[in-house]
Amino acid sequence: MQTKAARMASKLSFKEKLSRANSRGDFATFFMLIPAVIMLLVVSVYPFLWVFKYVCYDYNGITAYYTGFHNFERALSDTKFWMSVVHTFEYAALKIIFIIPLSLVMAVAVRQKIKGSELFRGIYFMPTIISAAVSSMVFGFIFASYNGILNAILRACGIISANINWLGDKNTAMWTVITVAIWGGFGNYLVYFMSGMSSISDDVYESAKIDGANGIQTFFRITIPMLSPMLKVILMLAITTAFKDYESILVLTQGGPFNRTQVMFLYIYQLVFGASGTSPQIGYGTVLSLIASLIVGIVTAIYLFVSRKLDDVM
Amino acid sequence: MKKNYLCALLAALVALPAMSACGSSSASSSSAETSASSSSSKAESSAGNYTVKVWSNNRHDEKYMTEKVNEFNSNNSDVQIEYTIMTDDWANSIQLAYQAGTAPDVITISASDNMALNDYVNSGMFQSLSDYIKNDADFQKVTECYVHVYEGLNSIGNDIYWVPNGVRSGTRIEYNKGLVEAAGYDKIPSTLSELVKLCKDVTAKGNGSTYGVGFTSSSPFSRWLEGVGEMSGYTHGGYDYKAGKFDFSSWKPLLETASQLFKDGSVLPGSETQGVDNSRALFAQGSFAVWGNASQEARVFTEQFPCNFDWGVAELPTMTGEVKGALNCTPNFGFTMLTSSKNKDASWKVISYFSSEDFLKGYFEGGYSAPLSKYMEGKIDSSKVGRLADFALKDYEDVYPMPPAVTVEGDNYGTVFWNVILGNISADDAINDLNTRYNAALESGISNGSCKRLVIEDFDPLHPSAGTCEYLSK
Repeated sequence: MQTKAARMASKLSFKEKLSRANSRGDFATFFMLIPAVIMLLVVSVYPFLWVFKYVCYDYNGITAYYTGFHNFERALSDTKFWMSVVHTFEYAALKIIFIIPLSLVMAVAVRQKIKGSELFRGIYFMPTIISAAVSSMVFGFIFASYNGILNAILRACGIISANINWLGDKNTAMWTVITVAIWGGFGNYLVYFMSGMSSISDDVYESAKIDGANGIQTFFRITIPMLSPMLKVILMLAITTAFKDYESILVLTQGGPFNRTQVMFLYIYQLVFGASGTSPQIGYGTVLSLIASLIVGIVTAIYLFVSRKLDDVM
Repeated sequence: MKKNYLCALLAALVALPAMSACGSSSASSSSAETSASSSSSKAESSAGNYTVKVWSNNRHDEKYMTEKVNEFNSNNSDVQIEYTIMTDDWANSIQLAYQAGTAPDVITISASDNMALNDYVNSGMFQSLSDYIKNDADFQKVTECYVHVYEGLNSIGNDIYWVPNGVRSGTRIEYNKGLVEAAGYDKIPSTLSELVKLCKDVTAKGNGSTYGVGFTSSSPFSRWLEGVGEMSGYTHGGYDYKAGKFDFSSWKPLLETASQLFKDGSVLPGSETQGVDNSRALFAQGSFAVWGNASQEARVFTEQFPCNFDWGVAELPTMTGEVKGALNCTPNFGFTMLTSSKNKDASWKVISYFSSEDFLKGYFEGGYSAPLSKYMEGKIDSSKVGRLADFALKDYEDVYPMPPAVTVEGDNYGTVFWNVILGNISADDAINDLNTRYNAALESGISNGSCKRLVIEDFDPLHPSAGTCEYLSK
């Protein structure tokens, strides 16, 4: 059964319909959406569909050979890939465990109206604007076993007696790349937290102060609860970013030693673009990229489900 | 109402650049096509005024190439060269340009580019040069192109796709004479186990400040240890040419001997995680005694990272001290024509110019590469090539036929062997794994048509290029 408004609309002439749409601002909306839609189709939808084109092929960038479902079968039994998934979870978990509390605490610290806090904000944010490739090169020199700056400092302080092979030892390589990731990312989350804290009224803090709350109580009873909606978004960004990280690992260890720092997207990158003089395996790489996207999607969905409570805190 | 019109107008203005960008892209591409086709029709009608686009992935010879291209352009009115250097992501750039219709006419090509000729020929990208070569007597004389025909590398069957003008020697040992002599040695020994001992002695003498040997994270196994295996008669790339299958079994003794370098602590700590230039710089500053690489190091240690000590160049050791197989050398500085070239005669004229005696004499005397043909070797003044003279080709150096280009699942043999040397896996496990995976990839490649089984029944490891190649589809 048609509503009254729908019946009226159906009786309108074409000219009247145009005029009505115009008065509602439909044309402005349409034209405003066009650039974004075109960009979305070109840089996101088309590449995604392109991926499906090669899932059943052995494609080296020049010639594609049909292999049926072999790429899918291979993915299921590829221990190197599934170990890279394990390493990705390990990397993401350790990175988030350290980077989120650190950036939150530092955000609270630099938000204090004390002399020099503006300077520290700038310093902490600086790694975010430096290319990951460049900063990783610098960290390569810092963590170098022979003539490395870190080893020299630790030896001078008497903490170690022999040089540590930070990037070449299976026991230290993962911690080393995580350290670089924390350095590179925490300024970014610090800015997010500061932005979230700016929405908390000063009156709340003043009331708490009058009631006799100390700094720690204020932090746990006011700052964290009132930041919770923002925290939910920041955590989601941190999770998806950590799962997709690979640039600095590519520069620092190329996934070594003995695949100890091999993460999902680095492995896919090496397959698609070829590594160590091997031909690209684009077909297989596209299958793994679909699986990897699915894994990231599932993790994000689980997080969003679990974190629903954070919205209700305020 | 007015406000709505204003909003729509503003939105249209915002959308316009995006739409016009798409439009102009197609417009510009069609205008490019027009321009190309007009020059093509001109070229076809008068064979004149055609610009041959040449892409190179060599930056080290930029100065010389630019000078000679300018010389060519000023002496030729009908054909001009547009020379572009493009060192990053070389193979992908060419493939993308070819697919987009913006490919150059001519590209440089070397064996070290790892471009599987079979794939480029099957996809129709590379033009056979055989007919042009047949009619160019000077080209034949200077390049000795019919001597330097390497199956699967620059030719397939009777078709030649590119002709190397230069050659990069097989790997050598570059060593710090002072450190080696201080450890009690006057030369690099002829067996690998003795070299391992030398590295241990240099390290002991260095007291933690200097070490025996340095490696890099960039293809560490193929730098020089692979050459030791080849000269010891092991299977090249793991391929048994007589049996037509992969067999890595012969490599076990080498892997176990080389792993002793790490067990002894003779390797510069962490050098295996450093990029190749970092490791070169560490050698040049005297941090370790032994480095292994091919003839490109002649310029590296005289210009890029000049050594302020006396450094020597020695032949690679073998497992027994006896040379039982050829050391693979790398033909380079060749040119190939793409099938998309609109004027193939003009493109050949440019290729022929780059392989002319006058051009190559200056190139080799400039030390940019070493001559491959005996003819050019006799024409250059070897006193002008500097330390490159230390890397002159040996009698036991040759070019192996390309093993079938298979799509291996998992790590390649270089990575796996390196993990054995680092002590991460046992040699037996590694060899079993490689034999299984490489042969499975070979069978899979043969069944889906991506490669053929290469069999050389009269294969001689000391003269690998002399055998008769037979390609089987089963």
